[in-house]
Amino acid sequence: MSYFRVQLHRSAIGLNKKTNEILRTLGLRKRGSVVYHNITAPTAGKILAVKELVRVRLVDKKLTKQEHNLTMKSNPGYYVIKEENH
Amino acid sequence: MFGPFKPTNPAFSGLLWKIPWRMSAGQKYRQRKRLQAVDQVIATVEEGLKSKGLTCKALERLNAELPKESEMLPRDKYTTFHRRSPNYRIGLHKVAKWTKRSIRTNPKGF
Repeated sequence: MSYFRVQLHRSAIGLNKKTNEILRTLGLRKRGSVVYHNITAPTAGKILAVKELVRVRLVDKKLTKQEHNLTMKSNPGYYVIKEENH
Repeated sequence: MFGPFKPTNPAFSGLLWKIPWRMSAGQKYRQRKRLQAVDQVIATVEEGLKSKGLTCKALERLNAELPKESEMLPRDKYTTFHRRSPNYRIGLHKVAKWTKRSIRTNPKGF
């Protein structure tokens, strides 16, 4: 099972109402937000209607919000060898 | 005359912004990147639909009507049709929302 992973890359502020509504139906509200959609013709049509604003990838797995946030984390520059109990 | 009273357009008329008639090299570079990004979105959607044996009307229309960045002439990438300009051309950067729209083709005969 694969999905469209759609990320809103450019804001639709200042664009027409229809574009904004299409983004809402895709579930995209803020810039940078990510949604996963099944691969169907209606979804593809919606993505193509806002093709200048989004970035699309084909993925096999939907990430939860927590998993997505982990992928966005920066490298702290250290790793924990052992945690001591106090 | 020098100093604050030198006779320049901004000094005489206050706030004056001018858009140059042509795009800078950096603007053109970013425009190419945006065109390529849009092509990439279309290609990915097509790939996804093909994997399911599907197609959609919007995709067929885009494939028929929207030229790819690699197929476009520089003239169409950076300028566009304008009915009141000399030679009917205008810099694309003078069009409203030009970075968020696909303006790639000309009317018939232009």
